[in-house]
Amino acid sequence: MKRINLIFIMMTMLLISINITKAQEITNLKLSGELFTDQRLLLQEQNDWAWNENRLTLNLDKKITGNSRFYSEIWLRNMGLPNISSSADLYNKSIVDPYNLEVREAYVQLLGFLTDNLDIKVGRQRITWGTGDKLNPTDNLNPYDLEDVLDFGRHRGSDAISFDYYFNSEFSLQGAYIPFFQPATMPVGIFANALNPTLELPQGMTLNGFTDQTKMPEYNLSESTTTGLKFKGFAAGFDFSLSYVWGIDGMPVATYNTFSPADTLGAININSQLSFYRTHIFGADLAGSIGGIGVWAEAAAFLPESKVVMTNDLSAMYPMSPVPVTQDTTVLDKEAYVKFVLGADYNFANGTYLNIQYLHGFINERGTDNLNDYFFVQLERNFFDDKLKIAPLAGGFIVSDWNDVGNNYALIYIPEASYMATDNAEIILSAAIFDGKGENVFANLGEYNMMMFKLKYSF
Amino acid sequence: MRKLEIQTIMSALFIFAGLLSANAQDANTILKNVDNVLFSAKDMSGNNKMILIDKSGNEEIREATTQQKGIDKRMFRFTSPSSQAGIAVLSLPEDVMYLYLPAFGKERRIASSAKNQNFAGTDFSYDDMESKPYSEKYTPKLLNTEGNVYVLELIPLSLKSDYSKIIMKVHKTNFYPELLEYYNKANNKVKVAKYTFNKIGNYWNPSEIEMTDLKKNHKTKMIMNDVKYDTGLADEEFTVRKLKQ
Repeated sequence: MKRINLIFIMMTMLLISINITKAQEITNLKLSGELFTDQRLLLQEQNDWAWNENRLTLNLDKKITGNSRFYSEIWLRNMGLPNISSSADLYNKSIVDPYNLEVREAYVQLLGFLTDNLDIKVGRQRITWGTGDKLNPTDNLNPYDLEDVLDFGRHRGSDAISFDYYFNSEFSLQGAYIPFFQPATMPVGIFANALNPTLELPQGMTLNGFTDQTKMPEYNLSESTTTGLKFKGFAAGFDFSLSYVWGIDGMPVATYNTFSPADTLGAININSQLSFYRTHIFGADLAGSIGGIGVWAEAAAFLPESKVVMTNDLSAMYPMSPVPVTQDTTVLDKEAYVKFVLGADYNFANGTYLNIQYLHGFINERGTDNLNDYFFVQLERNFFDDKLKIAPLAGGFIVSDWNDVGNNYALIYIPEASYMATDNAEIILSAAIFDGKGENVFANLGEYNMMMFKLKYSF
Repeated sequence: MRKLEIQTIMSALFIFAGLLSANAQDANTILKNVDNVLFSAKDMSGNNKMILIDKSGNEEIREATTQQKGIDKRMFRFTSPSSQAGIAVLSLPEDVMYLYLPAFGKERRIASSAKNQNFAGTDFSYDDMESKPYSEKYTPKLLNTEGNVYVLELIPLSLKSDYSKIIMKVHKTNFYPELLEYYNKANNKVKVAKYTFNKIGNYWNPSEIEMTDLKKNHKTKMIMNDVKYDTGLADEEFTVRKLKQ
């Protein structure tokens, strides 16, 4: 009874204190957000639905004191289409009406912490690095959110502690410590296999079944930690930064494949063990303006901490062999490879905006010999008092082998028209057309040409 | 006789040059006085209400806060509507301008080609929003005087400017600008800004600026509220660090 009373008193006090706090501070709390719908239809016959996303974003921003602030971004989403296979599924709301709740960011920021020049952030946060436009080889602290491969630069927030130390108005040092490793989230829906490498089987074998296990790093200081440091400055008219990350690549690699026969005709089953590997990342970027043209460059050198080897265990294929039959293949040498982006943009006097970027090495590419070249362009112009924006030329050209471009290329064409129906409501109509041959992310999306309709309402 | 002619011509040239010099001097002095009126306060802060009016008379309202220190530091931050809230522009010495878009979470330098673009759908360009004295951006020439105003012609010092000239009408007594007419490179009048000033303490405050884009027949009224001068704003308020907060 005493225990119940104590709990009751504590609950009452908590409620009172919450209400007092509310009364005192409600005026400081800013609630804003966005209602967003993203609908995509394939251009093929029957026009299958390719994407259904309905997202409510809630942003809470509260200045707690003059020197501290709370911020959060939460997504409540209806994502995907109902996938009902039995009557039992009809009793499950999460199958009939798939939705999820995602805390994108939730942190407290302390400004002028201990010293006037130091700001710290504690909690789930997005730490954006790099000067490129959505293509940022140096942006490696947060895990990639690759759910939508057409939204290249999206990352999730990480539970982290970070600081910014300002030496003066032009030079600063940023650091971040992320105690727990979080892997990248992979593409979903029709893009699910977009980033999966093609499986090459020995001659005469056909794949019957594939399973895998993913080995996560141990959750301790030495295995799961990611840290990063960045020095930022401004000199000779350019913003620049130098950075270093001791991290873990967020996309796993197959390190041990066990082959077993499924029948006597050459069909096999493969069980693959996927692992994550540690890497050092040295980054540099700059941004500025030359002759009225905005320019930026960003490069990251990735140095795996050790050689990454994939072992194919064929022992089950050769039961008479007295020793295990294995083949080792080097996936990644312990040597640096560099991804980089060069970009420029220009605003013409008539209101036309042009943005061009060259990227060497996409998100999922690793190793000097496996980095492809990507050329992206965006030409847009505003009409009707900037209410209508049309981008007739938008997309990219990808080359995966310069010696045989005709068989190793991809074209992406994403024209777009967006209209600000009101101050807060934007309607976007666009298409995505893919064409290509060979081994690259976009070459094999040809059957997924689509129309896209998006609506954003900010509040 | 020939010597006398030469002397006369030389004298005339000297007088003409002197007149030109006096004219230029007057124009420079007037423009410096304009800058003194606009930038005399040590610092200024206030709230902006911007009313965007299209050719059909439809209105959209945007609100922002603004802070200014000295002659070349300005911070401008949208507070509404929601689609624009948080977008901020920091103007610093030596033509350095940063744009902060909350959706991207990082600041971006504004290239000089972008400075001629409209600022967030208003009729003001990024260049118009820049905090920089007129005398540092233009060469003035006194065209004439009309009633209670001096009429100056301002020629941009930078070739990158979208304007070929600006005609500025300056109040003779108080030296605040009353009207600015912007001409494009083809020498067509493209924009007109009308200023209304009131006095707050010792300073003339531009309480309302109405900028009209003559080609689009679209105008933006910028109304200043809650203006405070000389509150001791620190230099730290005009940094990228603050821009991102």
